[in-house]
Amino acid sequence: MAITLGPAADGRTAEPFARPVRMNGPHGPWERVRDAVGRHGSVVVYGRLPEWLPADLDHPRLGPLLGRDHARFRAMGHPQVRARFVASRLLLKHVACAVVEAAPEAVELAYKPGGRPYLRGLDQIDISLSHTENLLLVGLTRRGWIGVDAEAKDRPMLGLGTEKQVCTPYERSALAQIAEERRNAALVRLWTLKEAYSKAIGQGMRFRFTEFGFSPQDHNVQVLRPDGEPGTGAEWAFHTCLVDRAYTVSVAHFDAGFGDTSDTAAATMLDDGLIAALVDGTGEGHRAQ
Amino acid sequence: MRTVEELIELANAHLGTALAPADAERELTELAGWDSVHLLRLIGLLEQVLDRPVPVDAVLQARSLRDIWSAAVTA
Repeated sequence: MAITLGPAADGRTAEPFARPVRMNGPHGPWERVRDAVGRHGSVVVYGRLPEWLPADLDHPRLGPLLGRDHARFRAMGHPQVRARFVASRLLLKHVACAVVEAAPEAVELAYKPGGRPYLRGLDQIDISLSHTENLLLVGLTRRGWIGVDAEAKDRPMLGLGTEKQVCTPYERSALAQIAEERRNAALVRLWTLKEAYSKAIGQGMRFRFTEFGFSPQDHNVQVLRPDGEPGTGAEWAFHTCLVDRAYTVSVAHFDAGFGDTSDTAAATMLDDGLIAALVDGTGEGHRAQ
Repeated sequence: MRTVEELIELANAHLGTALAPADAERELTELAGWDSVHLLRLIGLLEQVLDRPVPVDAVLQARSLRDIWSAAVTA
């Protein structure tokens, strides 16, 4: 499923966060993802782990598909961890490669020191990855930074000490005013927003969740200081939605003003030397279907 | 809390995890069933058990359960 994300400060986009569309596997079709990025600059895609898990985890093609991640994958011992790792990387690579119009084997996934993934050599594209239970979630933008997070909507969080570690004073006060039966879901929403924002700014959980917050309402969402005063401007856009009626998904998007670069094909965004290094040596490459 | 094994027992008893002593050195991202919600809940549990605040910044930067235990008990 894909959620198209509009540029935060672009008034031409009436619905900056719209239309969830599910992706059921590597074979696509990927036109909706490409169209979303072409029109809005960003896309969020989700799928289910079983649909993205290769039948044969020892298949020779998996090495080139995972690239440098393959060695890490091979060292993993737990079947659940291995499955989540390979399925999430395949979804991420296929989404990226659908957008840049290259073969998954041709684009290299790398990690910054904090663990944040990026596409080596494609600096104009930002990506984010999340997973919970068997839901896989990928965000991609060509307009700045993006962070995504997913959590089961009914995951118990309230009353377990998490509020103290997660919420600002303003958020705790706001939560207390929400009807009890909706309070846990509201806390899950806040959690996913904070995770998404932290990923977008590249801090992960090193950025204390009690030092920034969000409002309980899901319109004109912005980062708030601990006392509830605005903390970010219009360049940031946030949204939360429900996926498959079971998962709370939040997206944080920073519009860096990169402009309307509608052509994100690798052949356009990379220099000739890098293209030669990425394609398969014949100079032809392969496009995701 | 004298050992990382006690921390693992604490997590299993309260977080619903099924961690083993052998998981102490593993990357947190490679622990089955472990996620960031568990990490924050564990901080709360540690503060209860130790009866004092734990250095949250250090714990959040931990890469393994042993790192978490070390940050919590050496504070």
